[in-house]
Amino acid sequence: MTDDVSMAMCKLSLMPTAAAPATRASADSSLSPAIEAVDLTKRYGDFTAVDGITFSVTRGEAFGLLGPNGAGKSTTMRMIAAVAARTSGQMNVAGLDPEVEGPRVRARLGVIPQQDNLDEELTVRENIIMYGRYFGLPRRYLLAKADELLDFAQLSHKASARVEDLSGGMKRRLTIARALVNEPEILLLDEPTTGLDPQARHVLWDRLFRLKESGTTLVLTTHHMDEAEQLCDRLVVVDHGTIMAEGSPAGLIREHSTREVLELRFGMDRNAELAEHLEKILGDDDAAGFSHIEVLPDRLLVYAGQAETALERIHAAGLKPMTSLVRRSSLEDVFLRLTGRSLID
Amino acid sequence: MTSTQASLTTSPAQQKDALAARTGLRGALYQAEATLRSMRAYGGVVLASSIFQPIMYILAMGLGLGVLIGDGADFSAYGAQSYLMYIAPAVLASTVAMSAGIEFTFPVMEGFKWRRKYYGAQATALTPAQIASGHILAVCVRFLVHSVVFIAVLYAFGAITSPLAVLQIFSATLGGLAMGLPIMAYISTLREEKGHAAIIQRFIMMPLFLFSGTFYPLTNLPAALQVIGWISPIWHANELGRVLAFGQPTPLWLTALHAGYLLAVVVISWRLVQRIFIRRLGYEEWRGRTPGAKADAKRQARVDAKETAAGAYRRAEGVPPVRVRSGLLASMYSGNIRAVFQRGLSAIRNNRGVIFISGFLEPVLFLTSFGLGISPMISGVEAADGGTVSYAAFIAPALLAVSAMNGAIFDSTWNVFFKLKITKLYQTMMSTSLGPLDVAVGEIFLALFRGGIYGLGFLGVLLATGLVDPLSALLMWFTALFIALGFASVGMAVTSFMKRFQQMDWMMMILMPMFLFSATLFPIEVYPQGVQWIIQAFPLWHGVELMRDIAFWDFGTMTLVHISYYLVMVAVGMTVAAYRMKKLFLR
Repeated sequence: MTDDVSMAMCKLSLMPTAAAPATRASADSSLSPAIEAVDLTKRYGDFTAVDGITFSVTRGEAFGLLGPNGAGKSTTMRMIAAVAARTSGQMNVAGLDPEVEGPRVRARLGVIPQQDNLDEELTVRENIIMYGRYFGLPRRYLLAKADELLDFAQLSHKASARVEDLSGGMKRRLTIARALVNEPEILLLDEPTTGLDPQARHVLWDRLFRLKESGTTLVLTTHHMDEAEQLCDRLVVVDHGTIMAEGSPAGLIREHSTREVLELRFGMDRNAELAEHLEKILGDDDAAGFSHIEVLPDRLLVYAGQAETALERIHAAGLKPMTSLVRRSSLEDVFLRLTGRSLID
Repeated sequence: MTSTQASLTTSPAQQKDALAARTGLRGALYQAEATLRSMRAYGGVVLASSIFQPIMYILAMGLGLGVLIGDGADFSAYGAQSYLMYIAPAVLASTVAMSAGIEFTFPVMEGFKWRRKYYGAQATALTPAQIASGHILAVCVRFLVHSVVFIAVLYAFGAITSPLAVLQIFSATLGGLAMGLPIMAYISTLREEKGHAAIIQRFIMMPLFLFSGTFYPLTNLPAALQVIGWISPIWHANELGRVLAFGQPTPLWLTALHAGYLLAVVVISWRLVQRIFIRRLGYEEWRGRTPGAKADAKRQARVDAKETAAGAYRRAEGVPPVRVRSGLLASMYSGNIRAVFQRGLSAIRNNRGVIFISGFLEPVLFLTSFGLGISPMISGVEAADGGTVSYAAFIAPALLAVSAMNGAIFDSTWNVFFKLKITKLYQTMMSTSLGPLDVAVGEIFLALFRGGIYGLGFLGVLLATGLVDPLSALLMWFTALFIALGFASVGMAVTSFMKRFQQMDWMMMILMPMFLFSATLFPIEVYPQGVQWIIQAFPLWHGVELMRDIAFWDFGTMTLVHISYYLVMVAVGMTVAAYRMKKLFLR
């Protein structure tokens, strides 16, 4: 199944041809960043959704916006897509101010919203064609392009179906295919793989890689840390409308976490009381590269450069955890460290 | 283990059993409570319209049309002392029955599809039959409240006097259920609502209302049309109401027949609704049906075949450049109104064509009902040149103006709001290079297109019946578009301030009196000068008068005033809408 899917992907030629980037480059300097935001702020009444963030995305880069729900990711995406006016600050997308030239900016964008907003009054194929018509693309081009994109989304057999009859995954694929109709320079993906099954997720990642290779700039928000690690060259962690950290996935892990993590379970009652004791045991020892301990209700997370060594020390001290697990630090550790473990809502 | 369980009087499992048993008894009431709570959001509108509607009908039909009818008809034979008294019970029954068309359609679709509320309820101990009954009971409460307030107002105006009239609360509610439950049964079988509610409204409810002897005795109509009345729950509820309100002389068997008919319809369709709910919410996988799905598939196959034949396009040089205009209003307008218009046409084509055609039916029905039903009571209406015109010829131009207004308002408010908040179509459009102005203007064109087709249909009927001459008809068609443009502009501006659906109901409360008073069904001269000035301030009166000026070929300075009025409306509406455009499409 998965093989078939990737085969189908390989046959596609969604990459802009050599001529296209050249004409784009002449329109605006190819050296300018794809997106540049300075002190970007958005307020809704008393509520500050985005609080003076500054970032820049270079052309051809895959840039991730990470953060818990309500952190201001989607609002930022909306401002990039020129559908939300900023309260203050400056913004520049493909060399244009989205507030002044919304349509021109959006002509260069492909937008994949968090929630599929397909046109339920049209068929699957009409959804793609009509979307292209909104860009003013000629019908002749769209008829061919629609077939190609339907193939890409593996929806060719559903071309005449009503959107209503599609499954959730199919709808998502159609939304993604539709956003590629104008071969965008910058693709905005708001939680692109939410609701997709693992197969479809890998297919999409594969597609996004190809788009990136062909020079498309990707900006995505996601809750899946593995996705961010897989796709993003660079990412920012946003919380409460401000940027908490910025860097490459590997860089962020280096900066905000230890190389390894030791997960220990001593039973619900003893975890907390043992934490202090463990800190004393490991704190004196440089070989383990101990940093700190995080106490969770069900387990202890021991952050250490050499987790195996740390575990030996603990055993040597006569402590017998019920279970222990040594693993590499992940982006998830960084994320939870930076944004906290409590629910935000 | 067993001993500990026995020693506890109520184990968690037993508590749950007790709860389930209680739900078994009172589940429908719980569901009714939930439905009423969500109705409370528009409780203010319900209450206000219950007070407002009777007053409007008393002032417009009872007094206004009453003056026109004058001595032309004597209602003492029916037991009523005046025209007002004669219509009062029927207006009560009709308004209840017509609100059934809303309460038993959209909330049901909401329950099954839009918000899937019924599935939430189904996950509890409630049974599908209880969910169905709960909804019906909640609507009953709404009918009862409406009736009580309505009757209180009628008493206050002296439109009813007998204490027995209070019992109309029940006859009207029964009529409302008899009208609404069969519709609910039908709607519950639908997988998706594609204008079915509108079709029911236009093809079933409207005729049942207009030919139910509400504003005149049913016997005024030709025998063929009386048959509609016999079927209509509204007629039966009307007649019951008249017996109760002023003792209209009716044989006992006929009274029993009225009550029996309504009861039978209610009982049978209530059971039917429950059965459909059981099937749909039961364990069987059943998602409802889509009428016309086969026809859709066939048509789509034809379209596909055509496109495949035409689509010999070989992609060679990648995506063509996306052209976006720059310069003035670059942030608002991309120069691609056509795409928005085309999308509208595609949607119309994909929807049931009958909805589209049916738009002109409403004025035709009104014309038939009032033209045939009221005419026997009126000798004619005084024309400007001193002569008289027939009542049908008098109301025909007005109905065209009203239909232009209704269509434009519906498109620019309800439809725009729906696409904005529910289907999020504009959000989709706004993620392309389209600007808000492309969308707004495209939608207005679409509204005019629709209005133009409706107008054509109605004018065709007027021409066929000889109520207008061809030249007037042509001018009236353009005027209808002009009127529609005025209302669509203002409607778009108003929608930009709307936040919730309930606010739409408030708007309806302005439209209804405008329809009733703006010299549509009787000349405004029946009112004192002060009232006339108020009516003349409203746009519909100018539209109606403009249409009449053309229909009767009677132009004057007032004609220019009417035209200017609409020019101002277009200008103001467009300006406000453009100014609020960002609020509307870009949050």
